[in-house]
Amino acid sequence: MFKARTILRFSIAIICIFPVLMLLLLSVSQNWVFPYLLPQKYTAENWLELLRGNSIAISLLVSISIALLVAFLSTVAGFITSQLIAYHANRKYLLLLAYLPFLLSPVILAVCLKFYFNKMNIAGTFLGVVLAQMIIAFPYCIIFFISFWNQRIRQYQNLVNTLGGNNYYAFNKIILPVAKPMLLVCFFQSFLISWFEYGLTSVIGYGKVQTLTIKVYQFLNEANLFYAALSCCLLIIPPVILLWVNKRFVFRED
Amino acid sequence: MKVRPINITAYLLLIVFAVIPLLLGLGYALLYSFGLAGALQNSFTLSNWQKLFAESEVLSSFAYSTALALTSIIVSVSIALAVTVIYPGMFGKGLFNYLIYLPLAFPAMVAAFFFFQFLSKAGILARMFFQLHLISSIEQFPDLVNDRWGIAIIVTQVFVSCPFFILLLGNLYVTERVNDFILLSESLGATRQQSMRKIALPMLLQKCFPTMILYFIFMFGAYEVPVLLGRSNPEMVSVFAVRKLQRFNLLDIPQGYAIAILYTLVVFILILFMLKKKSLAHHV
Repeated sequence: MFKARTILRFSIAIICIFPVLMLLLLSVSQNWVFPYLLPQKYTAENWLELLRGNSIAISLLVSISIALLVAFLSTVAGFITSQLIAYHANRKYLLLLAYLPFLLSPVILAVCLKFYFNKMNIAGTFLGVVLAQMIIAFPYCIIFFISFWNQRIRQYQNLVNTLGGNNYYAFNKIILPVAKPMLLVCFFQSFLISWFEYGLTSVIGYGKVQTLTIKVYQFLNEANLFYAALSCCLLIIPPVILLWVNKRFVFRED
Repeated sequence: MKVRPINITAYLLLIVFAVIPLLLGLGYALLYSFGLAGALQNSFTLSNWQKLFAESEVLSSFAYSTALALTSIIVSVSIALAVTVIYPGMFGKGLFNYLIYLPLAFPAMVAAFFFFQFLSKAGILARMFFQLHLISSIEQFPDLVNDRWGIAIIVTQVFVSCPFFILLLGNLYVTERVNDFILLSESLGATRQQSMRKIALPMLLQKCFPTMILYFIFMFGAYEVPVLLGRSNPEMVSVFAVRKLQRFNLLDIPQGYAIAILYTLVVFILILFMLKKKSLAHHV
């Protein structure tokens, strides 16, 4: 019994770690012809090119900027709006409004909205992509924070008001410190939503706003699998770090 | 009653980022599909919808998406249930607890790229088969990518979702005190198998059901994975709609919008179903 358990643990561990190792290996390779199992030529040139500031480095910066901005704006907006919905008499229907854009396929939402982004002249721009990504990240933040605004938080607010504190004081001194861990986790998760985004970015960004996910697809079409693997590695690193940092909150506190 | 400025801000945010995009986007799609908007606008017509339903592609696309999403969910949850019930606490602590999180860090595009390299005819698996002398040429390796059964799509979606369900069910196993119920049933004379079948599995499945519906909706509307690993006929709904909308043939665009409306209706019904169910509404 113990043996089967150990074998299963190792099998699952290998399945989880193998893709990461393979992508790392391909990112430092230059030649991988069939039927060789491993690449024939290894080089650090792909990574050095990145350090010299090639197009992947620019995409990395674009991706980071968009994800940080989307994460910050949607976390703040989601936190404010979720309070309204949580204590609202029509909470269920307002929540439905939040669920719908979050659950719809982003690419389908994007093709339906493309006309308006064109009209506003923000299609194919950084601002357009940030706004478009907020349409899916903001509802996620509302759903994330809805359970935070419970009876206990309301009682804290009432207590501060009873003791003479105003709403600003209650928010600043009580609610924000209590919400800090959740705000951090929500920021990480909305960062990941933006970081992982492809469909919506490709439609609204018109291929002009080249995030890393767009780059992977582009390199694949060009059959440049080593650069695609390098872009994939860059896409995996931040989520791995963020997941490692906040995994306790994600699955233990819910 | 005085309306606080923070509430006005909240209402504005909700309207600007949730209500308006939905209404405008779906409104435009609906108008376009009825011939009332866009380059071909003329007068109200049902012809786009009639053409759409006359084609077998739409039905097969919806059926194909449902089949792939259902298969991926069933496989993922079955593996996760088996791991949780047979080996509870397997990923509770230590290095394995970190490793199981790795697939969750994979964007859909990266997962699709990896499985393209792994399962394609010149991929890692084919090379392994060649080295083991199971095949002697590239053509002998079966089509696992862009195949009619969507094998690569299912494998990729299971790879990404299975760790999530393992972690979710593992957590539910502890918080719902499933082990205590199993011990109780065994002390009352039930066998280990009976306890698992009659207690652990129904408890875990019931608690995990809302998440399964949400995941089904995500997989049903998936784009990145099928666009890379799927074939052109049948296509998953998102890929099918986008293909129709981005074709050079203007006559296809209204039908693309009609597919988007149909897809939204399906998702809307699923969310309503989720919110109506008492236990699910509580979860929400």
